[in-house]
Amino acid sequence: MTAARVARTAAYAALSIYAVLSLYPFLWMVSGAFKTREEILDGGHLIPREPTFDTIVTTWNQLAFVDYFRNSLIVTGLTVLGVLVVYSLASYAFAVLRFPGAKALYWLFVALLFVPGITVLLPVVILENRLGLLGTHMGLVLPFVNGTAPLTVLLLTAAYRSVPKELREAARADGASEARIFLRVYLPLTRPAHVTIAVLTAVPTWNEYVLSRVSLNDESLYTLPLGLESLISGTVVRYNEVLAASLIMVLPVIALFAFLQRYFVNGLVGAVKG
Amino acid sequence: MASRWKEWVTGWAFVFPAVALFAVMGVYTIGSGLALSFASWNGFTPNWIWVGLENYADLLWADPALAPGVRRAAWNTLQVCVAVPLLTVLISLPLAVTLNSVRRLRGLLRSVYFLPYVTTGIATYYAWRYLLEPEGSINLMLRSAGLGSLAQPQGWLANPSTALWTLILILVWSAVPTATLLYLTGLQAIDPSMVEAARIDGAAPRQVLRRIIVPLLTPMTAGIVLLGVRDSLHGFQIFLIMTNGGPGGHTNVLALETYELAFFKGLAPTLGLSSALGWLLFVGAVLLTLANARLLRRVR
Repeated sequence: MTAARVARTAAYAALSIYAVLSLYPFLWMVSGAFKTREEILDGGHLIPREPTFDTIVTTWNQLAFVDYFRNSLIVTGLTVLGVLVVYSLASYAFAVLRFPGAKALYWLFVALLFVPGITVLLPVVILENRLGLLGTHMGLVLPFVNGTAPLTVLLLTAAYRSVPKELREAARADGASEARIFLRVYLPLTRPAHVTIAVLTAVPTWNEYVLSRVSLNDESLYTLPLGLESLISGTVVRYNEVLAASLIMVLPVIALFAFLQRYFVNGLVGAVKG
Repeated sequence: MASRWKEWVTGWAFVFPAVALFAVMGVYTIGSGLALSFASWNGFTPNWIWVGLENYADLLWADPALAPGVRRAAWNTLQVCVAVPLLTVLISLPLAVTLNSVRRLRGLLRSVYFLPYVTTGIATYYAWRYLLEPEGSINLMLRSAGLGSLAQPQGWLANPSTALWTLILILVWSAVPTATLLYLTGLQAIDPSMVEAARIDGAAPRQVLRRIIVPLLTPMTAGIVLLGVRDSLHGFQIFLIMTNGGPGGHTNVLALETYELAFFKGLAPTLGLSSALGWLLFVGAVLLTLANARLLRRVR
């Protein structure tokens, strides 16, 4: 074997090892979801000896998955929508328009990166309790949207700045309004950045547990993480069902990512270069 | 002049929703949180009792029932803040360089490496919990590989000496995906002719890596470390879900302690303490970031 070939084989060996590590818990999630209650207890083997669909069926019937999915979709969907609308407008203003206070506001939003979520969690709960928002989906969406401000403003402002100024000048010469320039010129050119923001917002929101835990009381409003938790809070943990539920919860996110992957990676490249 | 006015008004109109949301969710919460850190309150009595700096003093040294626990949580947090970004860079940089050097399967591997980011959260944390149990697959694998002495009979998360580092490794596992992706984009931005020129001058691949590629990736490393430190300081979901600070406080971190003081102390007046600890955490975040920025500038 030539030296180059040895090097390439070594490279693929290293890459494969990390690929296995990367997939490791996910593989066991799939494996456990097809094991019976007895088999999961002596579960040293990845491939189930007697694969069964019963576990997934029982788990599905045991939890109100339809409700959890609907609630998670509402919360995640509204949060992503809110983030995209609110901060694309603001970032456009920061990147393109000149007005008093623009710089100060921009830095204010970026500086919020350093305020830990836990530091404002308690005041958020107290405030929402007063406003009557505590325990509602809106009570989750508003702080989630506000919490993504720093990173979103940073990335979107960079994306809009990378659009050549001449395009805006030309559109203005044609008599286009600012709103029209934003919608017809800037948004189409920066689509990957928006997809990146959507993924970076959707993934943590889908998995959010802390604020949801302390604010939601009504079980019919539970999101997936809270539903999943109810499986493990009992005295006997049936891991085959926990793993099946986990699998049901992560599959849609994986599918979404697979679908958006191309845009997402491009958006990240653009954000880094910008 | 008229057009300038128009641009001002347009600008304000565009930022209005963001500012309005921040006024409600940000200004008020930050202001009242800061005020609460100087008061004593249990969440139920109608009035706060002002105590000045007492909460801060109690947390840092004055209250013997509180300060030692906070100090231990601070030490755990510091370990997480240093170890997670460091290990993330040490794994993702070589991983990205290797992945960038091969052609076949590159796209597939990139997706596989990104999977932990997409799925991270309560679902994977439960899966890891299962794998780390006394009879879980990690122990079984070690035993069957003849490394049974390394296996943890009481489980990796129940043993005080392994729990924190186990969680650190899982945090690294979930941080590597974004870091690798960022390094890959950084690598693709490097001008190939520079690497080629060095090679023609007789530089060995290792030298090219050390003298050209790694220095060019420093801005990326800075960003990864910065975000890694921030996430380690702010995030505590994994600690809450996987160990809830146990066994015996060995995996307690400052953010988790803040959360406990805010929501799980019943009628005890700990809300002011929780706020004070939250703001100490903020100060810590700023200090660590400044220290980091200095360190990275010197490296560069």
